[in-house]
Amino acid sequence: MSHDNPQHRSAMSSIDTFTCVRCGLTVATFAPDGGRRDHCPSCLHSRHLVDHVEGGPSDCEGRMTPVSIAVLRTGDWMVIHRCVRCDELTSSPVRGDDNQLILMRMAVRPLAQPPFPLEAFGDL
Amino acid sequence: MTRRGPRRTGRGRPQRPKDVLHGPAGARGDAFRCVGCRLDVPLAAPGTAHRNHCPSCLVSLHVDRRIPGDRAAGCGGRMTVLSLSVRQDGEWTLIHHCLTCGELSANRIAGDDNALALIRLALRPLADARLPVRAMLTL
Repeated sequence: MSHDNPQHRSAMSSIDTFTCVRCGLTVATFAPDGGRRDHCPSCLHSRHLVDHVEGGPSDCEGRMTPVSIAVLRTGDWMVIHRCVRCDELTSSPVRGDDNQLILMRMAVRPLAQPPFPLEAFGDL
Repeated sequence: MTRRGPRRTGRGRPQRPKDVLHGPAGARGDAFRCVGCRLDVPLAAPGTAHRNHCPSCLVSLHVDRRIPGDRAAGCGGRMTVLSLSVRQDGEWTLIHHCLTCGELSANRIAGDDNALALIRLALRPLADARLPVRAMLTL
């Protein structure tokens, strides 16, 4: 998700940064735990730069909002992003320095707005 | 913040009808068989015109691409439910993940979906005591 030119990207990849399209934070491309990140750790928004269907770069480049949290069988958390421009869904792993308040808010949001009464589950 | 009561009142346009041949050899069936639990599922669902997953085990099949019923995806793989998302108007949406090609898709829950399976899905992030829970406790 770097916007630098390609010859810089290979040589300076460890200090590569990108600017969040929503909050404007300058973010290091590599998280402290070594993984490459594709979303802002502060507001968790991303940018639609990779085409997940065909691979390679995407020509959409729209902003992607986080819509939900997925927990894999391994226990790892994934953030599901939705592109506000083309409605594409992508998933990316949560990094250690991601904003945990926003993660928690997304995790409890289904239970705050249940489509059916939850009182019956107390009797189970 | 929570919006209760009829959820369809704020919607601008009604759901477009889903017109698909479900039976064998192009016959117009009124049911499909779940690839996960082999349940015969009727197409008519309370609350949605776009049922695409089994109400019992929530498994779906990767046949549509963007529009419900367009049958444009050539994959045909099994799609298991990955997570639960909530729209702005409070509607729950299932995120399905194709086991064959890795594609993600979203579909609103139906009125007869298994409530226990939905609640288990919603509680999954809260079930493991990882960092975010501790972060909330320190507030």
